[in-house]
Amino acid sequence: MFELIQGWLQRPNYIAFVLLFLWGIYIMVTRYNLVKKLIGMYLMQTSVIFFLVTTSAKRGATVPILLSTTEAIQPEVYTNPLPHVLTLTAIVVGVATLGVSLALADAIYKKYGSLDEEDILKRLE
Amino acid sequence: MTRHLPAIIFLLPLSLAICLPLIGIKHREWCRPMAFAVIAGMVLVSIANLVGVLQTGTIHYAFGGWAAPIGIEWVADGLASVMIVALSLLALICVIFISSVLFPNLGSRIVPFYTLVLLLVGSLVGMIFAGDLFNLFVFLEVSALCAYALVGLAGGKALVAGFRYLILGTFGASLYLLGVGYLYAETGTLNMADLAERIPLLVTSKAIAVGVLFMFIGLGIKMALVPLHGWLPDAYTYAPDRVTPLLASLVTKVALYGWIRIMFWVLGAQAVIYQIPILFLVGVLGAMAALIGAFLALSQKEIKRMFAYGGLSHIGLILVGMSLGNQTGFAGGVFYLLNDAVMQAGLFFWAGAIIHLYGVRTIEDLVRLRGGPGWMSAALVVMAMSMIGIPPTGGFFGKWYIILGAVEAQNYLAIAAVLIATLLTLAYFLKLFERVFRDRSAQQPPLMREVPLAVRISLGATSVAIIVLGLMSDHIVNFLLKTAVPPGL
Repeated sequence: MFELIQGWLQRPNYIAFVLLFLWGIYIMVTRYNLVKKLIGMYLMQTSVIFFLVTTSAKRGATVPILLSTTEAIQPEVYTNPLPHVLTLTAIVVGVATLGVSLALADAIYKKYGSLDEEDILKRLE
Repeated sequence: MTRHLPAIIFLLPLSLAICLPLIGIKHREWCRPMAFAVIAGMVLVSIANLVGVLQTGTIHYAFGGWAAPIGIEWVADGLASVMIVALSLLALICVIFISSVLFPNLGSRIVPFYTLVLLLVGSLVGMIFAGDLFNLFVFLEVSALCAYALVGLAGGKALVAGFRYLILGTFGASLYLLGVGYLYAETGTLNMADLAERIPLLVTSKAIAVGVLFMFIGLGIKMALVPLHGWLPDAYTYAPDRVTPLLASLVTKVALYGWIRIMFWVLGAQAVIYQIPILFLVGVLGAMAALIGAFLALSQKEIKRMFAYGGLSHIGLILVGMSLGNQTGFAGGVFYLLNDAVMQAGLFFWAGAIIHLYGVRTIEDLVRLRGGPGWMSAALVVMAMSMIGIPPTGGFFGKWYIILGAVEAQNYLAIAAVLIATLLTLAYFLKLFERVFRDRSAQQPPLMREVPLAVRISLGATSVAIIVLGLMSDHIVNFLLKTAVPPGL
């Protein structure tokens, strides 16, 4: 048990990811305000991005740009570039989703005069 | 030349989607013919691609010339090429239906509307051809974004339904991305063929098991597998009547196709997670979806909502066919998937047409159809026969091959699930028929209106396609068995 917890504490970045992910879901589920739901959604997306980046981290490694073009490439000197590339794309996707969702929330507000889900559902009846 | 056809199929709708906002500033009326021409071109290119794939074998298209494990790869094998032909034909019929004079004029919004439709079709092509998991995610999100916007286009209740779809859909996509991250962290690759080689060596890995479950739940939300279907009924009921066929027939089916790709081509049919065979898991969930979807459809009063629940039940049936673990069941499942795409398109064409022609939204209102043009009822009968599974329609033969596969696998629960779902489908269509053909209580004069040509073409084409799929089922299933069966099945 002690070793398990010790193992967890040695990876604080993964704990941070789990907390952020669950926190995002918690906000999405419990808040009635549509914009707060979107904040939760964005937090969850960001936590997944954080997870991707954290898998590429390496102690004592540098950015994946070749230090020298003449010497042989040493892979252990560089962090893994691929998760960063995935992250870039995932950020773009997340921003596009946020744009569409804010446009929808804006249209809902103009139509129903409220952002509270309970109010809106009452008016839908 | 054949080598480049997969990319051309994708670039056709994408390039027009990019150019359309510029062209649309001056020539709004060009949107409709140009979208039609591009998608008709897609149909031709996709048929050429299918012929090419049959002649020369699977095409591996490496974008930018970077070879497979490092670069982005598209794979056009037999199954993907068949799906692309079905997708582009259905998109063509849907675009004809969209342009009908029946629907309210969109005014200046017609330009973004067609842009979204083209982008949706293009991203679905990308999902079908995608050869690595992350590409699948990107196209999944592009298609989903278009779908959210198209659902919200109707305004009013559709906005709330679209918002809910967006929240749930994004949650699903995040779970899928997380699963991809787990698989990447464990194997160090994203390419599907590469993963398929490395995963069998890592069967005991917890990260693979959890990652696969995350991916399954994420795609399950996108394909509206029953416990995860919360967004679908509202979204399809309130979505604009002109785009519902496009969404219902294509978006969920392509997400399902994505899962088939991962299940058979990446994990392999024999994959086991913690002593649970993955096919068994999918089969149980599919049988549940088939029954619960049909039960829920039975209790609906609105026609579009009833068809939406019917579609949920059919997603379950396709998964049951896939989960049998033999070639007959797999081919039957793919054949049923093609059929279901046509049936969903046809049913929502019908539902959209009667809403705008006769103002019929609920089953009660269906009395007004009496005295209307006979072939509207005839189209409904053909579609219903296929949904229920009465020969000579495609739906019958799809279920037939699924049951044959179940007999082969000696999986009698699957047979029971298919048969009970069939009975329930019969029950909810009888409810419709009773209103249309038998109810003599109300004496409303029928509303007579000329049926627009576009509606006639789209309804006629889907009805004919259902019959043709049924009559040709033998050839199509044999063809699928020869070209589209995954390795190791």
